[in-house]
Amino acid sequence: MAMNAAQAPTAARSGSGRRMSRAAKYLFFGAALAYFCVPMAAVLLYSLATRWTANILPDGYTLQWWQATVADQRIQSAFSTSISLATLTAIIDIAVVVPAAYWSRVRNAGIRPVVEVAAAVPFALPYVVIAFGLMQFSGVVAPQYQGTFVLLVAGHAAIAFPFVYWAVDGAMAAAGIERLSETAEACGASPFQTLRRVVLPNISPGLVTGGLLSFAASFGEFAMAQIIGRGLDTVPLWSAEMIRSYTDTAGSYNRLAVVTLLTFAVLFVLSALVVYWNRGQTVRLLPGGGANTEGVRR
Amino acid sequence: MKMATLSRPYVKIGGLESAGGSASPSPLARMRGWLAAWLPAIPLLLLVSTCLIAPVVVLIWQSFTGMGETGLSLDLWFKVLGQRANQDAIATSLFLAAACATVTLIIGAPLAWMISRMLRGSRAFWLGLLNVAANFGGIGLAFAYMATIGSVGMLTLMVQGLGLPFEAPREGSLPALLMAYEYTNIPLFVLLTIPAMSILRDDWWEAAQVAAATRLVFWRRIGVPILAPFLMAGWLLIFTWTLGIYGIAYGLAGQSGATAVHLITLQIGSALQSDVLFGPGRAAILAVVLMVFATTSLILYRVMLRRAMRWL
Repeated sequence: MAMNAAQAPTAARSGSGRRMSRAAKYLFFGAALAYFCVPMAAVLLYSLATRWTANILPDGYTLQWWQATVADQRIQSAFSTSISLATLTAIIDIAVVVPAAYWSRVRNAGIRPVVEVAAAVPFALPYVVIAFGLMQFSGVVAPQYQGTFVLLVAGHAAIAFPFVYWAVDGAMAAAGIERLSETAEACGASPFQTLRRVVLPNISPGLVTGGLLSFAASFGEFAMAQIIGRGLDTVPLWSAEMIRSYTDTAGSYNRLAVVTLLTFAVLFVLSALVVYWNRGQTVRLLPGGGANTEGVRR
Repeated sequence: MKMATLSRPYVKIGGLESAGGSASPSPLARMRGWLAAWLPAIPLLLLVSTCLIAPVVVLIWQSFTGMGETGLSLDLWFKVLGQRANQDAIATSLFLAAACATVTLIIGAPLAWMISRMLRGSRAFWLGLLNVAANFGGIGLAFAYMATIGSVGMLTLMVQGLGLPFEAPREGSLPALLMAYEYTNIPLFVLLTIPAMSILRDDWWEAAQVAAATRLVFWRRIGVPILAPFLMAGWLLIFTWTLGIYGIAYGLAGQSGATAVHLITLQIGSALQSDVLFGPGRAAILAVVLMVFATTSLILYRVMLRRAMRWL
């Protein structure tokens, strides 16, 4: 009896409160939807607008900005610089990380703590700080490399290597690489043969994931490119120049809208591929974090 | 340590032998053993030490020595930290990061909870949308802000079209930065904390109901205490990342020059262009300050996460 009395008001309250809370929920999700979708819609409309200064929607629509942007020589060269920068970053990272991760699993466990501490550095420290330090350090030891493509590739490889390391190390754990390579050795394979015939084929999901993540990290990176890549023309650097030149060139914002969408499309496709490649598995990104997102940030 | 004590006698014997004239294999063998253990890792260690470790060491060194004219001293630290603009930048950066992380927590935590309890289809939709938003960053996001609520942005024109006097926060102002930062912070926070939400089991809510608990009591006594370490960890992570954001801030505030907001990252970036007063020593100090904040908060993050894992 006492229990019934206690429950009755609760039930009544939740009955009338449920409608309220449902309305609040819809409002909340509607606001979130608008918050995430409106800016993207605005950029898309900007890339298609003839003139847009007074009305809610553009005065007219045109594809001229898309055509002009795709045909623009400087934008083409910025894209090709960014793509080669990102490709080299991914290749170098895979080339240096795979042997180290493999060796730390099969021969020398002492490698692991060293690499894990190093991998925490780009997560703890903002890229601006690393970039500025690299700028100062290269000024001391190799001033001739300042502002060059080579230095920027090295810098990007250094800040993107944790993505590759975690992806590759996770794949090695999943494949049970220690026992596989033991078996290969027992069958008389040389270390190189083991690596090529046994290890690499078995960690290919990790290689693809790590490669895509490091490519994306380099492609969208702005701070380091601006600080140590002066004189180069990557896509983010081009965008930064355009966002400052509203009054200079007519249509610069429209072209910036096109490039923003293209950049975004590249990054989005990469992250979709990563998700596709890791169906069912979680990508371990943060040490101990158990995160399943890509680390695209800044 | 054990290796070193074991191998020392061999070195001595080798030394005696080589003094006697015969070739000594021991140091060579030791060298080869070391190489066999470390060789495959050497390219990675070289890359990491030249491009991550050495720059950090150089920055710390420069913050104490200036550009090398003076010896080790704290002079530059006192000078730089005594200056109003730098104090401003540090305070603003910390405030902005804390505000961003708090707003992210307030909006992101319920969002993560509700998404984690959705049916499969709508959950996939929201995860997809958040994934898309998380990829939108840097200069592109700064531009999207301007295109949306800048002086001729879509939303601005829409509200003004309704006849309301509306002016969005100026592009270089704190509210503008906060709004733009949240665009990627909230999705990252939600994507990071959704896995934690499954820790709270549905039968606990049923059990609480049997014990005549209301939803409020359930959250206060069970839900929040269990999730709190995860949420705090997320707060710290967003705080750390927000401290270091450069691209969005540069796109929004970099252009208005002197009138713009002072942030540590922007100060470091602009120190390269022109800093007659202190030279790069000032930027080095600000970089070290940023380093200390970020490292501290990431260490706290690890501690928090370890505490949270008790429930797993």
